[in-house]
Amino acid sequence: MRKWKTLCFCAIICAGVLALWSHNLSAADCPIKIGGLAPLSAPGAVTGGEAMRDAMQIAVDEVNAAGGLLGCRVQLVMGDTEGLPEKATAVMEKLINQDKVVAVGGEYHSSPGIAAMEVAHKYGIPIVFAETWNDGMTAKKYPEVFRVAPLSSEVADFQSRFAAIVPGVKKVAMIVENTDFGRPNAEASVKVLEKAGIQTVMFPVDIGTQDFSSIIQRMKAAQPDLIIVIVTGEASYNFTQQAADAGIGPENLPMICDQTALESKAYWTNVPAGNYAFVMRVGIPPQRFNDVAKSFEKTYMAKTGKKAAESYAFEAYDSVRILMYAIKEAKSSDKKAIINALEKIKYVGALGTITFPYGMNNPPDKNNKEDKWWHQFPEPAITMLQYQKKGQDSTQAVVVYPTSYKTGEPVYVKKK
Amino acid sequence: MGHSTLLWSVVSWLTFWGMLGGIVTPRIFSRKNLDVSRAGLAGATIGAATGPLGLLPLWYFGPRLRTSWNVLSSLFIMAMLAWGFALADPDNPCVSDGTFVASLLVNGLTMGIIYGFMALGLSLIFSILGVVSFAHGEFYMVGGMVVYFFTTTWFPGSHPLLGLAAACVITFAIGAVFECIFLQPMYRGKVERPVEYGILVTFGLAFFLQYFVQAVAGTNPVKARRFFDFPVLGIPSMADPWLIKTTQGSLMLFNAVSLSNPRLTAAAIALLMLGLLLLFLYHTWIGRALRAVSQDPQAAAVVGINPEIMNALAFALGGMLAGLSGATLVQAFSWVPQVGMLPTLRSFVIIVLGGLGSLPGAFLGGLMIGVIEAAATGCVPDPTRAAAYIPAYGMIVLTLVLLLKPTGFFGRQQ
Repeated sequence: MRKWKTLCFCAIICAGVLALWSHNLSAADCPIKIGGLAPLSAPGAVTGGEAMRDAMQIAVDEVNAAGGLLGCRVQLVMGDTEGLPEKATAVMEKLINQDKVVAVGGEYHSSPGIAAMEVAHKYGIPIVFAETWNDGMTAKKYPEVFRVAPLSSEVADFQSRFAAIVPGVKKVAMIVENTDFGRPNAEASVKVLEKAGIQTVMFPVDIGTQDFSSIIQRMKAAQPDLIIVIVTGEASYNFTQQAADAGIGPENLPMICDQTALESKAYWTNVPAGNYAFVMRVGIPPQRFNDVAKSFEKTYMAKTGKKAAESYAFEAYDSVRILMYAIKEAKSSDKKAIINALEKIKYVGALGTITFPYGMNNPPDKNNKEDKWWHQFPEPAITMLQYQKKGQDSTQAVVVYPTSYKTGEPVYVKKK
Repeated sequence: MGHSTLLWSVVSWLTFWGMLGGIVTPRIFSRKNLDVSRAGLAGATIGAATGPLGLLPLWYFGPRLRTSWNVLSSLFIMAMLAWGFALADPDNPCVSDGTFVASLLVNGLTMGIIYGFMALGLSLIFSILGVVSFAHGEFYMVGGMVVYFFTTTWFPGSHPLLGLAAACVITFAIGAVFECIFLQPMYRGKVERPVEYGILVTFGLAFFLQYFVQAVAGTNPVKARRFFDFPVLGIPSMADPWLIKTTQGSLMLFNAVSLSNPRLTAAAIALLMLGLLLLFLYHTWIGRALRAVSQDPQAAAVVGINPEIMNALAFALGGMLAGLSGATLVQAFSWVPQVGMLPTLRSFVIIVLGGLGSLPGAFLGGLMIGVIEAAATGCVPDPTRAAAYIPAYGMIVLTLVLLLKPTGFFGRQQ
């Protein structure tokens, strides 16, 4: 009898251990929670933030509709960073400690991204950034930090190369947001432009600035041949329209606007005099969309009523979808298992086939690459669009650069 | 940079003699049993402008101080600074380009009129209720939102001036209802700590309005269409419009100073409304009653004025002025529910600068801040820093004024 009791006790213990082991193996705290970061209030770029929130929700809904992950439903827990680092820190602490998210995706601005990254590193939670460009984020080589957005230096290089081919450009003025996104981007642009023999003048402003009239007067006095707007959110609309009022808007002088100009409806409401603006778009151009991109855009348009999905919506969608793919690959929602799966991932998403070739298993320095390439998607496509009709939708805007994606010729307005 | 040593010498001269005059003059006047109320300011300005040449006779003779001396000394100080600056940085556009300076000043004045108009509401509330409204910026935001939704959603295609009227009615009503429900208990002794209560309850209103609008209207930036299009003109002729040239969206003076239509319209409406407000305050019974309550509520009650009604009216009117400022500017700026935060801070600076509770002070303070922000942004030698310090320029001037005249320009001595 005593022997049987001992045997039963051992069996119960073994069953318990097995259950615990299988629990760890399959992750299993249902629902699996994934955090989503986006600026949903000013001074952040709310237009972009809302688009990203919708895109991330679509990614989660699609997985749930297909039966979920590891037998669990997936839940997206949104955090509003307001474009502010201190908010991002607080939001990340809440997502990790209160909501118990297993991974985080999204974010638009670099400054809150950097703050969020530090919290993710502190708790070892994987984070995939969607639209934060600051080179320094991946250069820190944190095991938890991944990025599907392009590097700021690459974007700056792209826009500067375009600026350099605009006829008659000898001096470029830049209105720059005083943040971890704006400063490095502008400094990288200055290097490229000055290498091309183009003079530059920089005007940094605080995030959320509303009245640009004095700085526009100063910019006008500098007599630039082209203006680059490195300011996000409604501030970029304010600057562009006020510049137009002062006679140096996109209809008077070539101007490369911030990405928020891709939100056509908001752009034309806020910048009625914004025709001929150039705007950069990250991601594959519509004519080269893969099946994932086509399917996502269709769902996104149905959900939001928009005529197309913006580049940051594609990035946000992929940032969350790739995390779920990694959880599936790892067969676990354990943070370390997700990070290992992300390092090895080859994921076909709306931005193309995403890989992170340089990381713990293949450090960048061993490949003669700079640290900024750590956990960085190396090939996000970038194109330059131009609005050539008032009220035009950004999906119908002409792709003017690079030549491989070109759909029409740029219109260069003449300096008056 | 040219002779920067000279500029720093001028600044050192102004600082040393200004501080010496400001500190020593009241003590000497006090020892001689003279009026010391204006001695600090007069000593500082005369000292900075003339150094020992002005200070020694001032201390020795102890004359009756005149406002004109302060004005003249201040003008002389500004001239010295301008001269030092021009020698130090001759290539600065503020030195080398007259049209640039004119554009800065005109733009600064235009914005200053609107800032002053907005701050007027805050000053009115403070002078009558003794409450600092932290919800002032939210009234500004609501005013703009009402115009946008009135002209695009509620009555699409209607003229923005109708939206302006709607903004006035709505912000006035919000102010009146809020005052009756939440502020009246303060005067009836139902609140233990009225000062703290006033701050907290207006903070509460600010959060409520901001998040309510965010929930209802969303967070996407919006903008109303231009209130009026300018007729396309050229004066004296279209061929040579050297005096005035207009397009639908802007006006050019002397082929040099450019003004945008939305700002000019907003400033013109603000001036018109200011005139109407002054008429109301100085030529109607209710206006006089309001001023009477601001001077002495108990004495006003003795002559049959109900202070509670006047309080409600003042808060509603103050909110309406902020709402009207926002309503005129929604055609110039992109509008989001958080748009009122910076204007609230700026209004506080303006009313302290002008003197708490003083209506002319608020308007003058607004003009000053508008011009200072524009001029400093345009003239700071390093363009990479000029715009980043916009909120700091007003603060520097406020600190200097409060050091020399703690009650602000037109503040009353308690």
